[in-house]
Amino acid sequence: MKKTGFLYDERYQLHNTGNFHPEMPARLKAIYKGIRDADILRKINLIPAVHVDQSWIEAVHDLNYILRFEEACLSGMTDFDCPDNIMGPETYEVAMLAAGGIIDVAARIMKGEIDNAFCAVRPPGHHAEKNKAMGFCYFNNIAIVARYLQKKWGIKRVGIVDFDVHHGNGTQHIFEQDPTVFYYSIHQHPSFAYPGTGREFEEGTLAGLGFTKNSPVLPGRADSEYKRLLERDLFPAFDVFKPQIILVSTGFDAHKDDDMSDMRLTTQAFIWIMERIVEMADKYSDGRLISLLEGGYAINRLPELAKDHMKVLMNG
Amino acid sequence: MFVSRSMTRKVITISKDADILDAHEKMAEKRIRHLPVVEGNDHLIGVVTDRDIRSALPYSIFKEPDCSKAHEKMTSLTVGDIMTENPFCISPMDTIQDALLLVEQKRVGAFPVVDENGSLVGIISVRDLLRAFAGVLGLGEPGTLICIIVDEKIGQLKNIVDIITEEKIGFGSVLVARYWEEGKRAVFPYLLTNNVSRIKRRLKDMGYTLLEPMQWYIDNLPEDD
Repeated sequence: MKKTGFLYDERYQLHNTGNFHPEMPARLKAIYKGIRDADILRKINLIPAVHVDQSWIEAVHDLNYILRFEEACLSGMTDFDCPDNIMGPETYEVAMLAAGGIIDVAARIMKGEIDNAFCAVRPPGHHAEKNKAMGFCYFNNIAIVARYLQKKWGIKRVGIVDFDVHHGNGTQHIFEQDPTVFYYSIHQHPSFAYPGTGREFEEGTLAGLGFTKNSPVLPGRADSEYKRLLERDLFPAFDVFKPQIILVSTGFDAHKDDDMSDMRLTTQAFIWIMERIVEMADKYSDGRLISLLEGGYAINRLPELAKDHMKVLMNG
Repeated sequence: MFVSRSMTRKVITISKDADILDAHEKMAEKRIRHLPVVEGNDHLIGVVTDRDIRSALPYSIFKEPDCSKAHEKMTSLTVGDIMTENPFCISPMDTIQDALLLVEQKRVGAFPVVDENGSLVGIISVRDLLRAFAGVLGLGEPGTLICIIVDEKIGQLKNIVDIITEEKIGFGSVLVARYWEEGKRAVFPYLLTNNVSRIKRRLKDMGYTLLEPMQWYIDNLPEDD
């Protein structure tokens, strides 16, 4: 049994997206409920959010962007950079707490206090570009923690797996020239789904060529297609790359009951995917793995999906 | 949607007296396949393509680039010998739809664009056209494609546009296509948002059928018995 952390903090619900937005605070309540009701809270390390040293955010985002976001928030603007990104007065602080919490989790893993963790944070991050908020995302959480691990702990090879149903354009762009971070994403095909990137021929540029891999999936496909593509594209790539830590952009929105996508994954498929990722972490990364919440909007499915996700981390 | 907006303006040209080795090198260097042949002040007299050059040359030049015999032949032929004279041209005021249909009809990869005085002002290639239509499709902007089946009657699109506008969602493009069921149309709004669950629900509540895009295959039209 592994020592598993669970980053959860009620302050993450303070990022207010209004009455009709799918990326709503209730998502986190549903996730917490699933884990609490399964009676596994006592077996894991519940980790609260902490504040972030802004320099870690600056390792990914331009200072100018950070200030622009803070100012937009303080001045009472209700969206930022595009109408998808609804925000409230607390959004900036909550985004800072998300990045801070994840960095704290990374430090605990590197110190050996825990083996792996699930970070149930809001707002999500993988669409956020260096200088632009997109698709409900403001700070690119996974990119920030990747840079932290490299700069603070000397990790040389970071492997990112992104199975949110949308392509993580921000994460890809931030690392596309960088051979020290391998970005793999499986997602609904960009001709049908947001954000319209992540085609198979996007494989990184310059020194990073070959360190980005995308598996677009056509709408309506289900478990077997995901398995086929992960076996074909992800496993062999990581076998060569041998990441020293695996970071996971966890999105539950490819679930068949999630109306943000046209994918048909069953709950079982999410277990299978996570088991394989944990196996890879055991094989290459001494078990080190951080899972970060991105999307997943089917409120009635989130409890079971989160509980299963946690159990795989604990037992893997 | 005029050719003048999508054409390449800085045209690489050649004179009819140039030898075809020059033409070949020019195309290879600039990675292009069509060279308009001009005389005097941009007056178009022909077009030479990479295929014209290949057809004019013995196979050996491609197999052994240093073969002197082949080179001799290359330098003895001029562009004027192998070019297509009086090529089919289009006007900067033709539309890109015209150009698309003409590509299909004339089976060529590019058209010189010539103004009313016969001066060459640009060239429009299949690549230029693809770029223009990629823009029309809204490619390159983040968004989500949805597919709605509607009855083929006036006012349907308005209702759809109204709901989407009420939700404050921008359009990347809207395509309307035929659908296998008679009296129905498939409408594909490309919405500049990630947030589609609510709009999908509203459209369903209004009685529209939403299709998964994969369920729509124009090639699956029922065959005639």
